[in-house]
Amino acid sequence: MHMEPANFPYLSAILGTTVAGLIAIMLIPAEKKELIRRVSATFSGITLVISLLLFFAYDRSMGGFQFVEDYSWIPSLGIRYINGVDGFSLPNLLLTGIVFFTGVLTMWEMETRVKEFYALYFLLVTGVFGLFMSLDLFFIFVWYDVSLFPMYLLIAVWGTTRKEYGAMKLTLYLLAGSALILPAVIFLYFKSGLGTFGFVPLMQSGMSGTIAPWEQKFAFILLFLGFGILAGVWPFHTWSPVGHAAAPHAVSMVHAGVLMKIGSFGVLRVAIMLCPVGWSYWAPLMAVLAAIGIIYGAFAGLRQTDLKYVIGYSSVSHMGVVGLGLSTMTVEGLNGAVFQMFAHGIMTALLFSSIGYIYDRTHTKMVPELGGLSRVMPVASTFFIVAALASMGLPGLANFWGELVVFIAAFRTYPPLGVIAVLALVVTALFMLRVVQRTFYGPVDEKFSKLQDVSFFLGVPRMILAAVLVIVGLYPSILFDVIHTASAPFINGLPK
Amino acid sequence: MNWMIAAPEIFYFAAAMWFLMLSFFSKPDPRREHLSSLLLASLGVLVCLASVGAQGYLFIQAFTADIYSQVFKILLSLGLFLIIALCGNLPDIGERRIQDFYFLLFTCTLAMMLLVSAGHLLSIFVSLEVSSYSLYILVALRRNQDFGLEAGIKYFLVGTFASGVMLFGMALLYSSSGATYLSDMARLLPEMIGQPAVVIGLVLTLGGFFFKLAVFPFHFWAPDAYQGASNQVAAYIATVSKVAAVAVIARVVAHAGQESTYLVHVLVILSVASMTVGNLAAIAQKDLKRLLAFSTIAHSGYILIGILAMNPAGWTGTIFYALALLAMKFTAFLVVIELAPEGQNLQIDDLAGLHRRSPLLALALMVSLFSLAGIPPTIGFTGKFLVFVAAIERGYIALVIIAMINVVISLYYYLLAIRAAYLLEPAVELPALTPSMPIKLLAGISTGLIVAAGFFPYPFIRIAQAAAQVLLVGR
Repeated sequence: MHMEPANFPYLSAILGTTVAGLIAIMLIPAEKKELIRRVSATFSGITLVISLLLFFAYDRSMGGFQFVEDYSWIPSLGIRYINGVDGFSLPNLLLTGIVFFTGVLTMWEMETRVKEFYALYFLLVTGVFGLFMSLDLFFIFVWYDVSLFPMYLLIAVWGTTRKEYGAMKLTLYLLAGSALILPAVIFLYFKSGLGTFGFVPLMQSGMSGTIAPWEQKFAFILLFLGFGILAGVWPFHTWSPVGHAAAPHAVSMVHAGVLMKIGSFGVLRVAIMLCPVGWSYWAPLMAVLAAIGIIYGAFAGLRQTDLKYVIGYSSVSHMGVVGLGLSTMTVEGLNGAVFQMFAHGIMTALLFSSIGYIYDRTHTKMVPELGGLSRVMPVASTFFIVAALASMGLPGLANFWGELVVFIAAFRTYPPLGVIAVLALVVTALFMLRVVQRTFYGPVDEKFSKLQDVSFFLGVPRMILAAVLVIVGLYPSILFDVIHTASAPFINGLPK
Repeated sequence: MNWMIAAPEIFYFAAAMWFLMLSFFSKPDPRREHLSSLLLASLGVLVCLASVGAQGYLFIQAFTADIYSQVFKILLSLGLFLIIALCGNLPDIGERRIQDFYFLLFTCTLAMMLLVSAGHLLSIFVSLEVSSYSLYILVALRRNQDFGLEAGIKYFLVGTFASGVMLFGMALLYSSSGATYLSDMARLLPEMIGQPAVVIGLVLTLGGFFFKLAVFPFHFWAPDAYQGASNQVAAYIATVSKVAAVAVIARVVAHAGQESTYLVHVLVILSVASMTVGNLAAIAQKDLKRLLAFSTIAHSGYILIGILAMNPAGWTGTIFYALALLAMKFTAFLVVIELAPEGQNLQIDDLAGLHRRSPLLALALMVSLFSLAGIPPTIGFTGKFLVFVAAIERGYIALVIIAMINVVISLYYYLLAIRAAYLLEPAVELPALTPSMPIKLLAGISTGLIVAAGFFPYPFIRIAQAAAQVLLVGR
């Protein structure tokens, strides 16, 4: 595996910026809300800029891990602070940067406990960034839990529907996931006999068979279930709609947009890449669970009346597509899965961001209570509708490509499951259309007729997200080229 | 004989005598007593630091000074200093008894220092008893007679029972091996570890220490004693006394229990039972100190994992865990003590509104509770990680999975306390808390340490590794 050292620690700079932002926020007196918002926007903006720089500076012809930083951390256990990005993590890093920044802007109007909110929000994102860039299993685990640390308070304090229940359920589910991950990680550490938690050497010993087949199978299932809980794999998805509905808007954005990707990224990075034998053994199970998730999410979404629950269940369905792609064991499948992670992240972030605006005005997110909003706030409605269309897989928007590629791969590997999954997507389209029609068209409710449409400034985060959906939708190779540099060598290097 | 190797013990003996003399000849003055004890305790830390390199034997080898004992003495002296720092306001201890209170604290710490240095069954027993008797009285000292006295008597009865069990175990060990020195046992026992009498003797001997550490089934006293004792004494039991128990259990198991599968089985069962019982019972608690007591029981289960692994990584993890326990339990109790200026027992609901009354204390409480739950990046996580690594090295992966499930259960009740501090609003508006500057500093430093040692544990791991070398006897 090629490792290209960084001439400047860009990756640590991202982490450093979020931590510096966190400290800066902690030092500002709580009354200066406007200053806190500005500082948050500045620091999150810097991380977005760096992640954009990285995305375009990444050498696509060379591939492998680039911008690698490597320092000794706990020598007695072989733990090193290693950061690096490859074609799998780069899109996710960019996704995190975008969602982080737009999330700060989305919460601009919030007035309660502003300082604490942004401090916890920065802590959460630090964990997410760290996980995507770390190449040491110990750190991957630590970052996973750092992103979990602030979750409970973020939801329980600033959330809405059944917030305490949702927060508790989510936190315990995710910690249960980490309860499976940690033993498996330590297990691999000893079975490799290398005395290192470094990702690259462990991956080589998984590929070469130093880690025996049964050990890979055992570790894989623990890792798959552990990370799968966070990825919303059926039947461990139940925390996700509840948690999404309860969370404040920016947290829903980060949560559905990025945090669930940590789960699927963990499945890919840790479970699949370290235990390829276990992967081929358990792939059919993964495929079946993913297909059930796609169908279940679609039909459960059909019955919901709460906008956030609708999105929550559609997330389960869409994350099923990611899981299906990961289970095909093909280059196309991985390409589609990672592409879908990115596309779904942007799309749900836009959905939650738009709902946030609407909810702050109407104080309801129940579909039957809304109606005709497109006449009251046409711009705000457009954002939602764009995201909803993307969610249906409309060509020209990002999600189309992810789903298309995954389904092509799935048709080849698991023909029956592929057919069922595509049919389920029709149901998704159906309920999305139904929600759009009931919420934005039809008669206008009297009490909403005086509401303001979204101002230019408040529209900025939604514009960014919508623009990304369109750009990637029209020019998908911008992502596919990057992902391909990681997926093709990996699949071709698999033991026969 | 080189008396200097016992410098910490001599110092703490002198300090205890100072308070004894004061109680004979001087009228109590809480403020003076607090300042002088604070001064003595901080000098004690310096003495322990200065004698970290001491090595040798005293009293026909019943007293051993090595890097292991000296590291633990630093932890003990540090713990005593921290607890005394919280004793500025002692509403629960009558003014008349204030000198006795400090006398007992120093005596107890002295006994624990002897305990971590003890190399002979008799010296182990005697020092354990001295520390226990000091604690019985400290618990009963609470001014509220019903509470303190009841807890003290319960603690005393269970404690003497455990001592009896331990004596019986020691007798069994002696009768089968003829050895009374730990070093002799390390030589003799490996050959006879298969004999039932030896295993039973060992388990019963450990029972006495398990009582100290509050391991299931010797844990019954803990919740009542924590609840009945004054907050400061409960903090002392939760921190300093646990550190000493960990030290002595690790040493005895390392010397006597090598490679005994029976012993490992017993320890596995006790470990699983402790963490499960502790965590499940903690869920139902309304009283904050009882909750912390049950969490201590659960933590003794996690610590046993490091001990039963019986490998260098395990000893290292155990020693690190002792430090972690000291740091996080102290921080949690600091918040408890600051929140109860009248010394009353706190309910979890009394935490309501803490995030507004004192953001610093709320943060300290949250970090210490997350650390107790073992969420990274905190010292509590690193401690758990180290013992889990040691256990998986020996192939005990099922044990680690059970422990991790317990971690999930425990997060539930820790979150309930955090929820109270950050979400609940008090029924009547309570005034803002203004802790004194030293307390603020202490809270800030200990919170910072919990996070910093979680992120950069290596210096502490190095120290723990050095100390763990001592336990590799006969290898």
